[in-house]
Amino acid sequence: MARIVGGIGCSHAPSIAHSFDRGLQKDPMWKPLYDGFEPAKEWLEKLKPDLIVAVYNDHMNRFFFDAYPTFALGVADRHPQADEGWGKRDFPDLPGNAEFSWHLAQSLVEDEFDPTICQEMTVDHGILSILPLLTDNRWPAPLVPLAANVIQHPLPTPKRFFHLGQAIRLAVETYPQDLRVLVVATGGMSHQLHGDRFGFMNPAWDNEFLDKLESDPQALVALRHHDYMERGGAESVEMIMWLAMRSALGEKVRRVHRHYYAPMLTGYGLVVFEGVDG
Amino acid sequence: MMAGATYRDTPIAGTSVFTGARSRQGYRINKFSMSLTDPANRDAFKADEAGYMRRFGMTDAEIDLVRKRDWKGLVAAGGNIYVLIKVGGAVGENLLKMGAQMRGQSFEEFMKTRPGQQGVAVPRDH
Repeated sequence: MARIVGGIGCSHAPSIAHSFDRGLQKDPMWKPLYDGFEPAKEWLEKLKPDLIVAVYNDHMNRFFFDAYPTFALGVADRHPQADEGWGKRDFPDLPGNAEFSWHLAQSLVEDEFDPTICQEMTVDHGILSILPLLTDNRWPAPLVPLAANVIQHPLPTPKRFFHLGQAIRLAVETYPQDLRVLVVATGGMSHQLHGDRFGFMNPAWDNEFLDKLESDPQALVALRHHDYMERGGAESVEMIMWLAMRSALGEKVRRVHRHYYAPMLTGYGLVVFEGVDG
Repeated sequence: MMAGATYRDTPIAGTSVFTGARSRQGYRINKFSMSLTDPANRDAFKADEAGYMRRFGMTDAEIDLVRKRDWKGLVAAGGNIYVLIKVGGAVGENLLKMGAQMRGQSFEEFMKTRPGQQGVAVPRDH
């Protein structure tokens, strides 16, 4: 049987990708972010997962509003990188695991989640801004991309994401092969990228979210989209995707690492958990 | 069911939540913007901005907003920031510059407000 061996929640942002590509790892403004990822990188190096399930969102690089899926699951053995509008980065395609993905699709549907099934799934900075900070390998394990709509309202509710993580766990635990699975959820913490409130960040709220994610996730499940947007900025509502990672780990978690840094436009949060329920 | 968990147009100051109504309103702008993920389209846009945008059925007023690089106006017209960034990329403006304009500030003024520039961004481990 497969099992979940850990979870990572982290902010994604084009700025992280740009800093990486420009070699700004030691730049005074960026160094704290990269230093903050080091313990997660070391943990992942030891963990050596066989598979990564990543809950994230696409930024109109794979999907557009002509037909925008609420949930979309990549079921290919390879996931090419999307050109986001300024050319592709120098990375190889991400490996996938079609066999596990189809199992996940079946299990999710039986569990009353009905994702759009994608045999072609280009991936964007929702995954690729972060992955190079978590590993020097290209890439550490096959990755199954599960995209969610956190852009065009109405969005899935926080509760829905909590249930999604439980459904992912059930799918993993009913997979016959002995795979050790890492669940990752990405999504910028406080940020607003438009209007008079452009540049808004709220580190106090972000850290409260990180506290509650660990010890009282139901308090986060109970909030409305309005609450998230008011506290963290409109675009920060994507933090709700982290709930899927949290619930996939079970009732209680052990925190391996936590880091937070908010220098410019987005609260960069990072948390590493291991489940303790067995 | 959790009634009221989804967004119901309750106002949030300084914020234009990307609702279905906005997505309908800005559809042409957003479709044009997303098309710039293709390098050939970026070249075609740069060669003839207005002619390229007309292909997407954009109105003269919408084309004029792009011509003026009026990001605040484009958001007000239903543009979604995640695709407007692609327009910014094609015309050589980054998100920080776009945002400064939306706030009615110069780029330099805006950057002074950033914690990383003020030296007050402190990393936290817990």
